[in-house]
Amino acid sequence: MRRVPPYLALFAYVVFLAFPLLWLLSTALKTPQEMALTSPTWIPREPTLANFADAFGEQDLVGAALRSLVVALSSSLITVLISLPAAYAMARYRSLVSRIAVGWVLVSQVFPFILIVIPLFLIMRDLELVNTLPGLVAVHVTFTLPFALWMLQGYVRAVPRELEEAAAVDGAGRLRSIASVVAPLLAPGVVATLLFAFISSWNEFLFALVFLQDPDVMTLPLTLVRFTGPEGVARLGPLAAASLMATIPSLIFFAIIQRRLKSGLMAGAVKG
Amino acid sequence: MTATVTQPAPRASRRETSRQRREMWLLMLPAMVPVLLFSVGPLLYGIGLAFTDARNTRVHQTSFVGLENFTRMLADEQFWSSFQIGAIWSVTVTALQFLAALGLALLLNMNLRFRSVARVLAVVPWAMPPVVIGLMWKLVYHPDAGILNDLLGTDVNWLADFSLALPAIIVVGVWTGMPQTTVVLLAGLQNVPKELYEAVEVDGAGRWRRFWNITLPQLRPVIVAITSLDFVWNFNQFGLVYVLTQGGPGGRTRLPMLFAYEEAFRYRAAGYASMLGLAMAIVVLAVLGLYLWRQMREAR
Amino acid sequence: MRIRSALAVAAIVTLAAACGGGGGGGETPSGDGQPVKLDFLSLAWQKESVAANKEIVAEWNKSHPDIQVTYVQGSWDNVNDQLVTQFAGGTAPDVIHNDSPALAGFASDGYLLDLTAKLPAELKSDIPQAAWDTVTFMGGEGEQGVYGVPFLQESQVIIANKKLLDASGVRVPTPDNPWTWDEFSEAAKKMTKDGTYGVAWAMKSPVNRTLNLALNFGGTFFQTGADGNTTVKVGPEEREVLQRIHDQLYKDKSADPAALGQGTADPLPAFFQGKFAMLPTGVYLRQQVTEQAPDGFEWVTLPAPKGVTAEQGAVSQTLSIAQDSEHPDQAMQFIAYFLNAENQAKLAKGDWLLPTSQKAESDPAITTKENGWDVATASAKNLVVAPFLKVNGYDEWRSKVATPVLQEYYANKISLDDAAKRLVEEGNQVLERYHR
Repeated sequence: MRRVPPYLALFAYVVFLAFPLLWLLSTALKTPQEMALTSPTWIPREPTLANFADAFGEQDLVGAALRSLVVALSSSLITVLISLPAAYAMARYRSLVSRIAVGWVLVSQVFPFILIVIPLFLIMRDLELVNTLPGLVAVHVTFTLPFALWMLQGYVRAVPRELEEAAAVDGAGRLRSIASVVAPLLAPGVVATLLFAFISSWNEFLFALVFLQDPDVMTLPLTLVRFTGPEGVARLGPLAAASLMATIPSLIFFAIIQRRLKSGLMAGAVKG
Repeated sequence: MTATVTQPAPRASRRETSRQRREMWLLMLPAMVPVLLFSVGPLLYGIGLAFTDARNTRVHQTSFVGLENFTRMLADEQFWSSFQIGAIWSVTVTALQFLAALGLALLLNMNLRFRSVARVLAVVPWAMPPVVIGLMWKLVYHPDAGILNDLLGTDVNWLADFSLALPAIIVVGVWTGMPQTTVVLLAGLQNVPKELYEAVEVDGAGRWRRFWNITLPQLRPVIVAITSLDFVWNFNQFGLVYVLTQGGPGGRTRLPMLFAYEEAFRYRAAGYASMLGLAMAIVVLAVLGLYLWRQMREAR
Repeated sequence: MRIRSALAVAAIVTLAAACGGGGGGGETPSGDGQPVKLDFLSLAWQKESVAANKEIVAEWNKSHPDIQVTYVQGSWDNVNDQLVTQFAGGTAPDVIHNDSPALAGFASDGYLLDLTAKLPAELKSDIPQAAWDTVTFMGGEGEQGVYGVPFLQESQVIIANKKLLDASGVRVPTPDNPWTWDEFSEAAKKMTKDGTYGVAWAMKSPVNRTLNLALNFGGTFFQTGADGNTTVKVGPEEREVLQRIHDQLYKDKSADPAALGQGTADPLPAFFQGKFAMLPTGVYLRQQVTEQAPDGFEWVTLPAPKGVTAEQGAVSQTLSIAQDSEHPDQAMQFIAYFLNAENQAKLAKGDWLLPTSQKAESDPAITTKENGWDVATASAKNLVVAPFLKVNGYDEWRSKVATPVLQEYYANKISLDDAAKRLVEEGNQVLERYHR
């Protein structure tokens, strides 16, 4: 009996957060006529696959999704690999450099990036990185890095220093103590960061819009907006169908990584 | 080589500090490369523009104008009124986001059935492509064919109502930002060493006391980190508003970042826009500094 | 241990660097014998119109092996940001699809090529002067120039629910004999009953709409003084339309207030349900209406009402050439082909807009009675260039001053006098910054 309220609360949350998935699915299966009804239906009366046919027939969604996947995977892995050591340093060493680093992380997030797009574009052009996927990866890494550093150093700080020191007293070297004690405890944080980096890159629009000019390198978000017209008028059906295709990989990625989140936790518990 | 590492840090011999410093540099270096290359330059450039009359055009000769943009900004009433809206927006959204996400993270951390499914479904707002989010919420709020009026049995023109538009947008803001916050807090919750709870379990402490005395203090660094970032992001947000209301009705939802964006990209006034950006950055940093400082002091 | 981690770090750095540096640079085309490569940024988004665009580009590429065009799709919502950035970097596409209000800005920025000397005679004579006026602006150096080729134009019509229209018994207007505004208001009143409104004004972006309608009574909203500086004016001519729409909303109560905050296509569900009878809108909305109307729903296209004149402000879609394009002549050749009469008819049909080509205007596909094409195409003769198109600083006036003021006015929060005062006073403050 005591269990009922939490289930109710969880259900309410899930409905609030996840109803769009159902909406996307139902819209993707509707005819234009049904979309224009004043009392919206959740289950299409005459389900149709025409929207999927249009979406996939007109745009190279599969190719764009593959490119997005490559960009998102490489930028999220690189982000985590390079931010983990730095975050550790920021959390554990008290020095001017690490303070500057913390300050930088904040400043770079605070200054509106819309004002940075043009100077960044000029740099990228001079490095001949415009119109290339590695260029986009570099930009995504740069812009998810502050978040990754900031979060990871928070997680490192949350690991009690005594645990690490205790391991060191036991005779393990510093790096080994990091590897065996800190890393497992950090695993959930790392996974959260990885997820963040992946999804931000997967959905990132503005940089992709200005940097990628060749149809052969365009990523998924750029392909999706092609179903929208001026003044917020859109071809909702094909857009919903394509968006469904764009949403599901992120969810699958999360579902997979979510398991790791748990096993990371277990490892931590065993070692602790 | 490895042998030297085994000593467990007796405080501050000179060799030790220089070794530590080398270690630190080595750890920081990989992260510094992209930052130096792609972030420092554009940022300094952007800040520099604030003191020029730069325009995003081909025919304009940029010259240094000192504090001219600054004085213009001080007199720009429209900017300050949008700044107020921005303050209300970012504080409200951040606070609601945090409370809602904490509740959800606690639930997801409980030993409930279906929680793996719930965890995946909870990130839907985050996983959805931004293009669709705006269109979808427009349909939710649609006065005639909207889900919300249908559900509530009301006949409200949410996004065009002068007093309801901002709250309506705030709900969307909370909705979009919740998954990030939830995932971060959940990871933080899982980071809390189990032993701490076990120790209190013996004392027979209630659920609430456990939350208040152990969970919350343990979670503090993570909470501080994510709320401050949320605050910054929310302050910098304008995409949603751009799609949903374009700042209307009557400027009631014109967030300051939308204002700066229009200066730079619509009217091409790059210099003035940068000054607005700089001013906002300074205010946000000041608020953040105060917040972080207080949190750190309390944490001691 | 430490060495190994140092190596790992080094490896990551090189990886990151390789990732950064490894990308191939853009190929620079056109050595001898190499075909010239042009990028064509298109904003077509409707199914038929995308298909028409792709088809024309494919035909061109087939018949012109020495000038190869890459079709790049953009989107209306983001094209401004994309172009501002890419222009600044000098890497914008060669041929750019946009609309006349946006051209004014890019032309005075100096980013677009003045096409005056390059236009082939045939193309120039096929498009009427009124359309050329919508793309003639001051360039970056202050000289008049033609900064795009106008090809699709939007005009305003009224889309009406046939059943409600017939039931009201009002005279059905024709292109030769449209309603006057008085008749229009009267008709709206007659159609208002039993919870049905006569008309719905979708006024989420009220400014362009209002200013274009104001031309009916000679309202220009701007005047240029002897010193060459432009100021805002809101006199009796400008107030006419403002007052009439306001009356429909709050005096006659014949206009649906729920539509006020909506974008162009948003009122359609309510329209199909018969919540209101008439929707004044752009001709292109007919596409959504045909696609979304429930079976058995009958609708007609009516000409827009006329005041002192039937004149409407024209907005054209355009093709321009980037100032920094390396192959402007080839780009012009492509544009001339792309916009020949036959292709214009195809594009107009695909986008449900009106072609500027006079030869295309008589194409049977766009003069048929079906879906109101006859009425739509007939309205093209009323299109004139709207004065605001040429006003420096119009964009800023619109979003900082006029949009909020008109939204408040139409929502009945402020009086017409207050609105007029703010439009002028706050407006002139904005425009002052643009005086040369």
